[in-house]
Order: sequence, then C-alpha cells, then structure tokens
Amino acid sequence: MKLLNVLATTALVTAAASMAAAEGANIFVIGGKPDDPFWSRVKMGAEDAGKVAEAQGGSVTWLGPQNYDNLGPDAAELIRQAIDQGADAIVGPDWVPEAMDPAFEAVVAAGIPLVIYNAGGLEAADRLGAMNYVGAVDYKSGYAGGEYLGAAGHKNGACVNTLPGAANIEAFCNGFNDGLAAAGGTGSVLQLPATAFGDATAVAQAVRAHLLQNPEIDAMFAIGDGDTNATVSGIQQAGKAGSVHVCGMNFNDSILANIQAGTQACAIDQQGYQQGFFAVSILNNFVNYGVTIPTREILTGPGVIDASNVALVIEGVKAGAR
Amino acid sequence: MSTTGRDQKTQSSLGNIVRRPETGSFVGLVFVFTFFAILGGPIFVGAPGWSSWLNIAAEVGIVALPIGLLMIAGELDISVGSVIPASSMTAAIVSGHFGLAAPIGILGGLGVGLLVGFINGYLVAKTKIPSLIITIGTMFAVMGLTLGFAVLLVGSTSVSLVADPLTKKLLGTFVGGMFNVSMFWWAGFVAIIFYLLHISPIGNWIFALGGDRESARNAGIPTANLTIGLYMLSGFAAAFVGILQLLTYTSAQVASGQPFIFNSIMCVVIGGVLLTGGAGSVVGIVIGTATFSIVNQGIFFSGLDPNMGSIFIGVLLLAAVLSNDGFRALTIKLSTKKS
Amino acid sequence: MSVIGSFLRRPEAASAISLVGIIAFYVLIGGVNLGTLFGAASWVNFAANLGIVAIPVGILMIGGYIDISIGAMIPAGSMAIAIISGYYGLPIWVGMVGALAMGAVVGLVNGILSVRTTVPSLIITLATLVVMQGVVLAGAKLLTGNASVSLTSPVWAKTMFGGLIGSSHQTIIFWWLAFTAITVFVIQTKPVGNWIFAMGGDMVSARNAGIATNKLTISLFVLSGMSATFVGMCSAIQFNSAQVSGGMGYIFNAIVSVVVGGTLLTGGYGSILGIFIGVLTFSIVSQGIYFTQIDRNWSNLIIGVTLLLAVAMNESFRKFALSPPKKRPGAQRERQKA
Repeated sequence: MKLLNVLATTALVTAAASMAAAEGANIFVIGGKPDDPFWSRVKMGAEDAGKVAEAQGGSVTWLGPQNYDNLGPDAAELIRQAIDQGADAIVGPDWVPEAMDPAFEAVVAAGIPLVIYNAGGLEAADRLGAMNYVGAVDYKSGYAGGEYLGAAGHKNGACVNTLPGAANIEAFCNGFNDGLAAAGGTGSVLQLPATAFGDATAVAQAVRAHLLQNPEIDAMFAIGDGDTNATVSGIQQAGKAGSVHVCGMNFNDSILANIQAGTQACAIDQQGYQQGFFAVSILNNFVNYGVTIPTREILTGPGVIDASNVALVIEGVKAGAR
Repeated sequence: MSTTGRDQKTQSSLGNIVRRPETGSFVGLVFVFTFFAILGGPIFVGAPGWSSWLNIAAEVGIVALPIGLLMIAGELDISVGSVIPASSMTAAIVSGHFGLAAPIGILGGLGVGLLVGFINGYLVAKTKIPSLIITIGTMFAVMGLTLGFAVLLVGSTSVSLVADPLTKKLLGTFVGGMFNVSMFWWAGFVAIIFYLLHISPIGNWIFALGGDRESARNAGIPTANLTIGLYMLSGFAAAFVGILQLLTYTSAQVASGQPFIFNSIMCVVIGGVLLTGGAGSVVGIVIGTATFSIVNQGIFFSGLDPNMGSIFIGVLLLAAVLSNDGFRALTIKLSTKKS
Repeated sequence: MSVIGSFLRRPEAASAISLVGIIAFYVLIGGVNLGTLFGAASWVNFAANLGIVAIPVGILMIGGYIDISIGAMIPAGSMAIAIISGYYGLPIWVGMVGALAMGAVVGLVNGILSVRTTVPSLIITLATLVVMQGVVLAGAKLLTGNASVSLTSPVWAKTMFGGLIGSSHQTIIFWWLAFTAITVFVIQTKPVGNWIFAMGGDMVSARNAGIATNKLTISLFVLSGMSATFVGMCSAIQFNSAQVSGGMGYIFNAIVSVVVGGTLLTGGYGSILGIFIGVLTFSIVSQGIYFTQIDRNWSNLIIGVTLLLAVAMNESFRKFALSPPKKRPGAQRERQKA
C-alpha cells in the first residue's frame, strides 16, 4: 500500500512537473452554486489560497452547477470540463458517487493531481486514488448534532431534507438519527418536495405542520443556513419554542443571533473557508514544489457552536476569519 | 368572449351562478378542505391548521393577484421568480450591510420591483415579442444582476437584516405566535385589486385588452400605459413578498423565489382565469390561492407522502381548466340559443 | 436580391448572428482560447442533451403549441429505467421500452387535451408537469423506498446510450446529430413539414385544407414526451443512477434555445437548423463562460440579454422577410378563440 502510494506520488510529480514547466498551477475547483451562502465561503477560501497561485503565475477557477436539480450528473460534467480546460490540479466533492466516480477516475487516469473535499471522506479519496480528503464528514457532522441534542435529553428527532435524493443530505440525516439513537432517542426524516428548496415560507410551514401533527418530536436538525432559519421560525409558529430544540449545519449572522437569543440550540460548523483554502493550497504547493502533506484526511469539522462559545465565534466573524 | 367579463355580475339567476367559473373553483375548495379535514383531524381544522395554510396563501396570493390581472389581459410574467430575491437582497444590502434605516432599504427593494416591471411592460407594449419570452429574458437578467452585485458589494450571497421593532412588527411578525402579518397585507392587496378590476373603469379596460387588443386600442383605451402599469403592479407585488420574507426570516438569499413562478400561475388557473385572456375574477383568484395552499399544507397534516401533494395540485389544475372549458362551452351554447 | 438579403430572410439568420456575436464577445472580452473552447466536450454534451429536447419543443412551437411537461419527463424517463432494470433487475431493453412508453403516454394525454379543449397548451402541460413530478417522487419512494435508484447496465447499452468517446464526449451527441438530420429531412422534404407550418400559421384554414391537425398535434406531443424520456434514460445509463429531481432547468433552457433559434412562440415560423444553432448558442453562453475570465456569477445576465437581443433581431429580420408583416403576437389568441 505504502509502495503503491510512493509510486503513485512519483507518477503524479512527474506528470505535474511536465505540465507545470511553463507557469504556475492552474487549479480547478468544483463546488456548489456560486449563490449558495455556504459555497460562496468555500469559494472565497479557494480564491484566497489562489492568490498565492496567481503570484506564481497560476490560477484558480471555480466551477459550479446552475442549480441542484441534477446534482450528480451536472457535477460529473464539471469535472470533465476541468480536464478539458487543461487543469494542472483538480479539487472536487464526491456528492453522488455513482455519477461522479467515473469522472474522478478520468482525472486520475489523465495524471492530474486530485483532492476530494467537502463530501465523500477519506474512503472516497482512497477509492479514487486522490491525494487527500479535506473537509468535514457529513455523517459525522449530523452525528454531532444528534449527539448534542440527545445529550441534552431529547428523545425524538426529525431531520429536514429539502433535497431528497442528494447523497450528502441523506448522510447528514442518517448521522443525526444515529447520533440521537446513540444517546437513547429515535429519529426520522421530514421529506419536502424538491420544489420547496429555497422557499423559506414553504419550509417553515412544513416544519410547523409536521410538529403539530407529531407532538412527540422534541429535536430537529436542518442542513444549511436558510433551512435552519426557516425551521426555527416554523418551531416558533407551532408554539413550540423552548420545547423543541434545533441544531443546524453551517451558520451566518442570523444563525449566530438565534443561538445568542436561545432560539437555536447549536450550529455544526464545517468551516467551509478552510475546505477551499487547504484543498487549493495543498495542490498548489504540490504542483509547484512537489511537497506533500503526510496527514491524510484533513478534518475541518465538525465543530459545535452553542451558547457557551457563540461570543467567541462572533468575534471571529468580526475579524473576518469565519 | 365579451360575455364572460363582469357584465355577468349584474345577473343573478341560478343558471348564471352555476355558469360562473368561480363556482367550479369553489366546489374544488370545499372538496379539498373536507378531504384534508378528515385526514388531518382537529389540528388542521383549528387555528394552527388555518394559520399554516394562510401563511403560505398570503405570500403566493400577493404575487398571484397581479399575475391574474395580467393573465386576464392575456399576458404572462415569469420574472417574478427573480424579482423576489432581487428585492429582498437590495433591502438587505442597503439596510443590513450599509446600515441605512430599514424603510430606505425597503423602498429600494420595492423600487427594484417597479423598475423591472416597467422594463417588462415597456418591452411588451412597444414590441410584438410575446410576454413569455420577454419576461424569461428579464428573469435571467435580474437573476444574474442580483448574484453579481451581491457578490461584488457584500462578497456573500446571503445578507442578514435586523430591522427596528416597528418595521419588524409591521412586516415580519406572527400575530398570536402563528398568523403571519403577511395575510393582512394580502387582504389589503385583495381589496385594492378587487376595486381596480371590478369597480373602477380600469377593470373594463383590462378585460377589453385581454379580449381583443386591437379593438381595445381603437376604443380609446391607453393600452400601452395600461400594460406598463400592470407589469409594474406585478413587479411591485413580487418585490413586496421579497420584503416580507426578508423581515420574517431576517436574511436574504440570492437563490429563492423560483417556486413562485409556476405556483402563482397555478393559483390563478385553479381560480378560473385562463391564459387566453378576457375572463376571470378576483374572487376566483383568491379561491384558487386558498385551494392551492390547503393542498400544499394539508398534505403535511394528513400523514400522506408530501410528494402526493404535487399529484393533487396537478389533478386539481386539470379539473379546473377542464370544467372551466365546460362552463365556457355551456355559456356559449346558451347564449347562441337565446339569440 | 443579393446573397446577404436571401440569408437574412431565413429564420436562422438572427440565431447565426447571435452565435457569432457570443463567440466574438467571449473572445474579445473574456479572452477565451477558441481552440480550447471548440475542443471541449462539456458544452457539446450539454448541447446534445438540451438539443434532443429542444427540437420537438421547437416543432411544437412552430405548430402553435408549447410543452413544459418535459421538465418532469426527463427525471421520469431516468427513474422508469432505473426502477425497472435497476431495482427490479429486468433486462435493460424492458426498462428502455418502459421509459419511452411513459413519455408516449404523457405526450398522448397532453396532445388529446390540447386538441379536445380550448385550454392553452401551456396550462395543460403545466398540469401534467406537476402531476408527473408527484408521480415520479412518490412512485420512487413507494416502490423503492428511496429517492435515488442506481442502475447497472450491460456493455452494449452503455456503449450505445451512455458511453464516452475519447473519454469526454457522450454518445448522446450522435443521437442528437442523427435526430437533427432526420427532422430536417422530414420537415423539408415531406408534406408533414408544410402541414406543421400551416397549422401554426392558421389552425382553421389548415383543417379546412384537409390537414389532419388533431392527429398531427397528438403525434407531436408524443414525440416531445418520448424525446424527453429518452434524454432521461440516457442520463441514467450514463451516470448509473437516477435522481427524482432534475429537469426543471430544461424548461426555460429549451424555450430560450428555440426562441433564440428564430422560432416564433406564436407559431407558423421557424426552422430546425435555427433551433440547432439556438441550442449551440445557449450552450456556449452558459457553459462557455467557464472558459472566459468573466466571473461565472454574471452568466445568467448574459443569457437574459442574449435572449432579448436575439428576439429583437429575429423580430426585425422577420419583418424584412415577410413584408408586409403578417404575423402578430395576437395570432395565438385569435386561434384559440376560434
């Protein structure tokens, strides 16, 4: 295994060196929609790391889908597009393995260094022959949320899924339910029609109806800032503020305000900026100098933000680091 | 065509009631409500259930009303889908990011809606290009501008706004913890648009415009200004919903609003308005909106798979257009028999 | 008239100019490398998937109808084959037949309702769009308990429908080119082509002239439903899985391509070649932006402006082509009243 790695690395270095001869590294990053708040932070991290690449004569290009309707195939297309455009290195998330793995395999087959980030975990990186994995593990992030609420004494949870069929969202929800189960509770999934995605009112009202109809639910989990905000509102409208606690993935100003005000129990932080920044840095340094990071699986999360450390995080936001 | 305008309203025989398009919509409403009342039980019939679907109805209803007027006049407006986020993003950037007073940001957001509406209306009135195409074009353009400027000015695609208590109270609170103030605004919109369509002379102009644009113009109706006005109303209403969402959920996102495009058209059609223009009523649009929202929310109370909701809406839509068609055929048959 | 004059009289003139304009814009402002752009597979793959749907949508539009149910039929096609051949493990050809049959049935419903009622086809297909969305989502959940279903297809199916040529170009490109060639041939040489234009120009006189307008309309809707499920089917074979959402983007993308390609929404005017060029233009605008230095964030703005400019150009060229102008946007309303 080790020998294989060395051989693979040598091959990659040779390939990279031959391409990088002319100028710096042209790195392509495949990610979410540019107008998705979480992904715009990842993009910023990637572009900030890209400033070093630019100073060395390289570049960072962001490729994101038009929408999330057809996530797997669209993302696979973007990976192939990066190959087409002569990428020196590629960063990509393994959202829908069935659809995207063949494209990642083509990247490796073309001798282009690859880093998997955000989704898939080290397992995907090893399977595909990628250099490393940078990111939180979706399942673990969900698990952290379930564990947190379970430890707080909640017994019955529901995970809000606005993108039925997307592998990463299902991983979050499975993790949440397992985390809650580990603490002695049970969990379920509230499936919304895909047309509700992005409509805060539709999400809030669905949450509310679900809570009213299932009064035994006392914990909820939502993925993304928008859905979490809407879920918090739905709980308030159901008259269950204080009795139903909610954790959400990612955070923004209003989520932090929620935690301060006590309307939201916790936010799971996967630190998107770090994902973009480190994935690009690793590849840039590798393509230019052949240096590697021996630590495999660089975890950027999950970190739990709750009332105990929210003030610190707000300081971090002000300083521009989060 | 002209018989389906509001001259019908003056007659009141039983036959006329049956023949009115809203009657079919109303039967649909009663059926849907009963169905979900049986499945959803006391919670759905009580205040929580009512507020649940009314909160949904208020937002889609505010957009659906001017869309309905446009459809009566024979036009469409797809751009509402991107005006909603454009307006909430504008308000959030002006008041949240740059820290100006909330009313200024709100005026800015509403101004964006009026401007997009003006451009739509001007292009529809002055060119011969179908409104579907023009508003698809402005939809894409406004979407791109919103994203581009949000990233350029703020560097982020979600901006939060914590408004002063009075603004929040007027535009983004829940009365009794569950009824969103948006439904009172919806009621206001219903009253104003009811006046416009059924009482003021403009109403007749709108029906005439949808019936036959050429003869409407020959009859001295300022068709160009009327079209521009209707589009500005529709842009304004969409922008207003954007503001309501911003103040309720305290943050604006670039990507939202797309569901409103088809949802508003569906509400209008279930309410008995056809795209062919020249016929329809505000009461019908309100009934259609209520029906649509009851199905959408009732499904969560019923224990059925949420996706069954789409099948329901689609079947209702088909039933609405088919019965509407049947009513119309009946009307035409009866009126030809008389003459 | 000169050569230029007769070129400008063709429906695809404006779309050809749009295409050249967009490429010029990307080269001059975006600093795009033409060699890289034309060598790239991504936008060609995108164009092929979109193009197969856009052609029947465009033909319907020439005939005076619109079909937005395609947005649900693409995921319906991929879900049908994945459930039949993936989940239940039946031979792949059964899944293919199932997917295409599903498209045919929905097309049949759209067509029958369009000819039997006076309801505009936009509204009818909006209803079938919503119904099929629910059927696909609820059906997948009900039958498989999952919102995404995986599919392993035999080599021959993979090569024919979901393979890669040179490890980047999807085989669906050939299906697109073949479909385009066949429709161009049929529309230009067979009487059915004239019938479609006649129908879109004036339904009543077309019927009076002895054209079987009802049969023709229904067949066109069936064609459109089957093309959409075909694209979905190929996508499921290509990517080994079917997702329930997906396809909604095709609605506006297809309409924009068809209209940029010089087809008149109100019917009676347009060409397959124009639609083909319109699809190319749309694909280069939306996918080619990655090859430029322009920030991806502005791509929707460029799509919108391109559409409006192309339509304005089409409008003035058409006036030039048909002088005195005969067609008005009111034509559709006139027809439906009749």
